[in-house]
Amino acid sequence: MVGVRASKAHRDEGIALVVLMSCSALFVIAIALILGFLAFNGTRLFWGDHYSPLKFLFGTDWDGFGGHYGAATFIAGSLVATGMAIAIGGPLGVAIGVFFSELAPKRVATAFKPAIEVLVGIPSVVYGWLGLTLLVPAIATVFHLPDGDGLLAAGIVLSIMILPTVISLSEDALRVVPNSLREGSAALGATRWETITKVLLPSASSGIAVAVILGVARAIGETLAVQLVLGNAAILPTSLLKPAAALTSEIVMDMGDAPDGSGFKHALFAMAFLLLLISMGLILLIRLALRRRT
Amino acid sequence: MSRSARLAAIALAAAIAPSAAFADTSISAAGSTALQPLVQAAADEYQQKNSDVKISVTGGGSRTGLSLVSSKAVDLGDSDILAPDGTNGLVDHKVAVIGFSVVVNPAAGVKGLSKKQVQDIFTLKVTNWKDVGGKDQQITVINRPASSGTRAVFMKTLMGSIDTLPPTLTEDATGTVVQKVAQTAGAVSYASFSGTHNASGVSELAIDGAAATEDNVMTGKYPFWSYEHIYTNGPPSKDIAKFIAFLQEDTAVFKKTGYIQIRDMKVTENNR
Amino acid sequence: MAQAVIAQPAVARLRGSNARSRRIVDRIATAALWGASSLVVLLLLLFIGFEFYRGASSISWQFLTGSPTAGTAGGGIGPLIFNSFYVLILTLAFTVPISVCAGMYLQEYSAGGRFKAIVQFSAESLATVPSIVMGLFGLLVFVSALHWHFTALGGALTLTLLNLPAMMRVTQEALAGVPGTYREASMACGATKWQTVLKVILPSAIGPLTTGVVLVSGRIFGETAALIYTAGASVSYGRSAYDVNPFHTAETLAVGLYQVHREALVPDVDRIANGSALVLLVMVLVFNVVARVVGRALTLRFTGKAR
Repeated sequence: MVGVRASKAHRDEGIALVVLMSCSALFVIAIALILGFLAFNGTRLFWGDHYSPLKFLFGTDWDGFGGHYGAATFIAGSLVATGMAIAIGGPLGVAIGVFFSELAPKRVATAFKPAIEVLVGIPSVVYGWLGLTLLVPAIATVFHLPDGDGLLAAGIVLSIMILPTVISLSEDALRVVPNSLREGSAALGATRWETITKVLLPSASSGIAVAVILGVARAIGETLAVQLVLGNAAILPTSLLKPAAALTSEIVMDMGDAPDGSGFKHALFAMAFLLLLISMGLILLIRLALRRRT
Repeated sequence: MSRSARLAAIALAAAIAPSAAFADTSISAAGSTALQPLVQAAADEYQQKNSDVKISVTGGGSRTGLSLVSSKAVDLGDSDILAPDGTNGLVDHKVAVIGFSVVVNPAAGVKGLSKKQVQDIFTLKVTNWKDVGGKDQQITVINRPASSGTRAVFMKTLMGSIDTLPPTLTEDATGTVVQKVAQTAGAVSYASFSGTHNASGVSELAIDGAAATEDNVMTGKYPFWSYEHIYTNGPPSKDIAKFIAFLQEDTAVFKKTGYIQIRDMKVTENNR
Repeated sequence: MAQAVIAQPAVARLRGSNARSRRIVDRIATAALWGASSLVVLLLLLFIGFEFYRGASSISWQFLTGSPTAGTAGGGIGPLIFNSFYVLILTLAFTVPISVCAGMYLQEYSAGGRFKAIVQFSAESLATVPSIVMGLFGLLVFVSALHWHFTALGGALTLTLLNLPAMMRVTQEALAGVPGTYREASMACGATKWQTVLKVILPSAIGPLTTGVVLVSGRIFGETAALIYTAGASVSYGRSAYDVNPFHTAETLAVGLYQVHREALVPDVDRIANGSALVLLVMVLVFNVVARVVGRALTLRFTGKAR
């Protein structure tokens, strides 16, 4: 009797292990499939339509139906918008992370933190709608422009969107710094600000780097909020106040209507593949940053 | 785990089951957003008269409609443009004519332009409204993306031999374009009558002296119009043919939605 | 040791500075940090307040339950709300079992080793795939290769891929919060590993797990870019609005907000967009509150203590 129950338990154990491992393996299969499908369709432009990868990456001549697939304007637009998001959202996010970890009284933290979590949950299309109806007209008024669409608007919207990521990760990075360091620094007569800038931030630097890199990842892949406020002009960015275009916004605008099997569609897939490669590159960067810590 | 798997299976079965109950005739249409209101209005009327028919009408854009109908994902593909050569098996049904307007922000101070002036503006040769008889106001050109059907009609009917446009501000749908023109001083763009006739804050321009009206489209005075096509994959079935005929003939629906019936046209594409 | 190395030069620099100006700098910095944090929270409250103010006039029973129109004013968002929940439930039906199992494996079974490392790296990579890129993957696989076209199921599976890593993390964190003594006690009673995980650890972790699932649900509810080219960007205006066939197009509320403004098939675009944005925002708030309340209640019920 006991033997039967034990063997059933033993069998259950085996089944459970197989199921759990298969579910884990699904993650590996999923990313492999995504990479495979996008690599295949994303490079078709080069081996199928014989378009030069260099012209794709560095060309600025974009005419989907005319056989010109230079994506440099979109790449530049994505990079500049992301750079602006980091320039604004990075320092601000780290500062608020410091605030939560070092300064905020418990009561303030419990009041503020849920607010930040709400910020994560707001759909990107709502950010875009707010940006389009509030920020874009505001920029037009402030700078006396006919139209406020452009990189500045996109940069500001993106910086708000990456804030929660940067805040919570840099806070986590600071929290794991041992208290002995804080105490030691205070005992030596350092003010709190000096402790933060000269002791805590340097020791948490790799964690903060990860926070910022994940912010980059979120910003560069953001689509709708950017498309709604960027103006979508395939022009190399020369001014933050001028409309520009990004990889994501161009994909979402043209994907539905670009004919199947055309170089146009393949070029859009190539842009998506490029985004995927950038994301993967960022993951490797994070690994590097974390390895430095250990 | 096993319980949740069972639950998922039940949920899925419950989800699929009711659809089997829709055994009536069902027709699906997708594609051009310019044509969508007409097809929708016709579908509503038709379903009221034929309660056993279910018609679903969705947008997505002309080319989306064409690709969906060629892969038989929908029964009807709505399109502003002709199906590209080499699309096998698609049957064209011209169902209506639709007019488009060049729209400007009122700050431009112009009521009409010649074709040549439109070409100069959209190729950025002219950058201030005062050079085409308007106020001293910088021109902001807004285009539709390259894949847009409206842009294709614009190029064909107004831009003459010019086949590429310099990159400008781009908005990807009628609604966005009209809104952007309304809120941007000196902006100019183009959109279908259905999006511009009742829009506030934009002016529709006369082209070569002919105002953007249905009458001028019918008599051929106004050049910026196109046929609206419904494509079927192969000859339509009896039910579908009945609906298309109803749509083409139902004057009340046309009156209500502002499209032009093909039989009212005094010109054809060839003598535009 | 490493800490001392970092602290040493810093301290040397401190000694040279003037004590008073250092205190002033400290005060200013403290004020700046308070200022920045309050500003962001204030900004958030302003956004939400503005959206409420602007969207409130759109909200009516007719708006929340009515169907969208093409060409005429007065349409509602009922089917879109329904589709959002429908796609969410389909997504959870795939995401939760898979990622809870994977999370259990990584947290409770795997002691390390190559397989765990590969799974973890895959999860991290999956987590950074931009949602539009995931949408295109869904387009390639579910819409084109499998010939499903735009379907609720295709959208849900795309969202599943997008949210597996977050859900797995939630599981891992919830399980990690269960004290080791529970495991030891259970094993000591002769329970097998699986019995321990299923009957002891999972129930103890149910509170935080639920909180996490609901928070991720909030994100799934508002997802847009991944759905436009998978679940489709159109409701079927004519057909019965509350369609539960997973192989039919399902435009969700977030996609609808994007689409209503693009297509502008109706004269009252702003009214519908503002109302939709408000409903989305309210849902985010609801998901956040529910996550906390339910999580706490479940923790209390299964472990007899508030965690």
